[in-house]
Amino acid sequence: MDAFLEFATGPLFRLTFAIMILGLVRILVLDLIGMFEAYRRAGDKTIPWKLTLSRTLEWVFPVKRVISHRPVYSVIAILFHIGLLVTPIFLFAHVQLWRDGLGFGWWTLSPGLADTLTLATIALGVLLFLGRVGSRDARSLSRKQDYLWPLVLIVPFITGYVCANLGVSPALYRLSMLVHVLSGELIFVLIPFTKIAHCVLMPLSQLVSTLAWKFPARVDEDVCTTLNKEGAPV
Amino acid sequence: MKTTPVNDEQRAKAFAPTKKPDVVQRQKLAVRYHVEDFNVDDRPRRFLEAFAAILRHSNYQFALDHFIRMSAKCSRCATQCQVYLATGDTDDIPCKRSELLLSVYRRHFTLAGSLRGRLLGTGHLTDEKIQEMAESFWNCTACRRCSMECPAGIDHALITHLGRYILSEIGIAPRALVVSTREQLEGKTGNTSAVPVPALLDTLEFLEEDMKEELHVDIKFPVDIKNAEYVFFPAVSDFLMEAETLMGIAAVFTATGDSWTTGTGYFDGINYGLFYSDRILERVVTKIDVETRRLNGKKVLIGECGHASRSAKYFLPAHCGGKDALPVINIMEYTYGAWKAGKLKLRPNAITDRVTYHDPCNISRQKWILEQPRELLKAICADYVEMTPNREDNICCGGGGGTVSIDEIRPYRTAVGGLAKANQIRATGARYIVAPCANCKKQLRELVEDQGIDAEVVGLHDLLYKAIIFDPAMIVEPETEEDAVEEVKPDATGSADK
Ligand code: SF4
Ligand code: SF4
Repeated sequence: MDAFLEFATGPLFRLTFAIMILGLVRILVLDLIGMFEAYRRAGDKTIPWKLTLSRTLEWVFPVKRVISHRPVYSVIAILFHIGLLVTPIFLFAHVQLWRDGLGFGWWTLSPGLADTLTLATIALGVLLFLGRVGSRDARSLSRKQDYLWPLVLIVPFITGYVCANLGVSPALYRLSMLVHVLSGELIFVLIPFTKIAHCVLMPLSQLVSTLAWKFPARVDEDVCTTLNKEGAPV
Repeated sequence: MKTTPVNDEQRAKAFAPTKKPDVVQRQKLAVRYHVEDFNVDDRPRRFLEAFAAILRHSNYQFALDHFIRMSAKCSRCATQCQVYLATGDTDDIPCKRSELLLSVYRRHFTLAGSLRGRLLGTGHLTDEKIQEMAESFWNCTACRRCSMECPAGIDHALITHLGRYILSEIGIAPRALVVSTREQLEGKTGNTSAVPVPALLDTLEFLEEDMKEELHVDIKFPVDIKNAEYVFFPAVSDFLMEAETLMGIAAVFTATGDSWTTGTGYFDGINYGLFYSDRILERVVTKIDVETRRLNGKKVLIGECGHASRSAKYFLPAHCGGKDALPVINIMEYTYGAWKAGKLKLRPNAITDRVTYHDPCNISRQKWILEQPRELLKAICADYVEMTPNREDNICCGGGGGTVSIDEIRPYRTAVGGLAKANQIRATGARYIVAPCANCKKQLRELVEDQGIDAEVVGLHDLLYKAIIFDPAMIVEPETEEDAVEEVKPDATGSADK
């Protein structure tokens, strides 16, 4: 088990982390290329930057829209996102690992705050899951992974909490740690290939929609030629 | 926004197919609106071919890629759609409607999707799916409220727009739109309402006489004037149905003295291409460009019409010259500017009844024109009230996205699509609903009629017409004996107020 744990925290961690980063870079680059290409082809190159930017900020920092509709659900979702990002990145134990490996670290959470955040994230994840099950609208849209994600995402939080706080037996500790690491790595690998990709694509959304309405000139001719419809009546 | 969903009986009525069974049979798939006769063979293949051609030559693909990666299925958009709130049918949730097309894209145009689909032998496009899209995309009014509320930024109106474009390429498009567009692009009159030039001239002359009689001012509709500052394109249906709006606009120009003209070569702002086909959109918008340049006009002036304004403003630059394209301005912007500059004088409290303002989606959603009409109305109305929500958050009249032109789905539009709007109007208790859009006017009139609301739908310029203060030098002597005994109307001069 120790050897396996070592493998999981060593090479496997590096591999999965690399997959996540490269995967995210890939979709980000694809998105950007698509946007440049669309812009190049657009007949009209004016972009309402101010409006696009203000709408982007509205969703990156979604305070304005929260109150207006589904306030409870929205607040839960926002806090869950904060917990998901802040806890692992600023956890003392994690930063320590980076420090060992890379030689530098960054600001960390106090143990008390880290615990509170961890427990809150777990609770919020469960609430999100229940919210999806309970809402008729959400149920009708949901695919399997939509139910699964909040549950999968809280697994490393639960096991992390067990390892850090509960006086469990060494064997159980190692098992939890293994699950903790592996589930975290599973998430890394899946991130670029699932809707979690929104973590890097989200800020581009408003601009994508704006650009998509910027039609290229001469669609008429081009599409007709391709479909063999030149000169066909309306 | 709270709306009690329609009951089963209302629902059945609103969604009833209007076609005869034999037509349905001939076309294999029933749709509630009339569709031109078309080739029914091998539809899925032809749909995919059209889809591929469009993806190749237009700018949709990168957006679809982005959307399929982003969609969180959170159902937030469900809180915004006036159609879903009225039907309560989860198939009308915006995200679900978009999924109809996105799933075809994922299955047939992405590697992962087609591999998966082939392995499992599932998900390929069928006739039934095409049917579902044909129905669903025309239930959407393309109002874009849902897009504003989506945290993932998914633009459902764009997806619906693309879906309709593809469908139209295989012959599925509402007949009302296609027939009008055909007349506009290939017919003798060259406009959607088939108004011939002599009839146009007659109408204008008649309106001029009317105005002279009413206001005692010589108000002209200039025609084919070269080098005018503004070349005017209202929705052509205004010449038949919105005389008061046109008179108000002519009166404004008479008061300001700016040069404007209607062109007999082309005088229709309507662009149904925006609703069902990009290539048609392009051809129609080009007609405006050609006519304005023929007359050597400086600017394109669009009348009170939301989609006409949007299609000219956003697609003239796209298809006719980019940054060198002719500037486009909406009549409300013009009138507001003239009023602010002191060129137009308005009589306060000219309208005493309660007035409310309906924001047409096409000009308000992007925050294009919000305050100008409000300020003008507040300047002339004694009792102005807002609907809630309003401005960029407004609720669609229920006839957007071209659906208002499809007469056979009127029961749907006024019982389902416009239900939220009807409640909103009722809550204001207004006598006049100002709707500066040919589409909205038609829909709202049908809506207040079918929903039994006691209110009148008018244009902004219909009311301004009653409030303009003309320069006393413009007042002409009454011509007939009868007129001579009448006092000069206080309406026209504002002298009564002083
Ligand atoms: S709000 Fe956006 S992500 Fe959420 S369900 Fe609607 S379209 Fe999908
Ligand atoms: S565009 Fe309007 S009508 Fe269409 S789905 Fe969105 S909110 Fe509903």
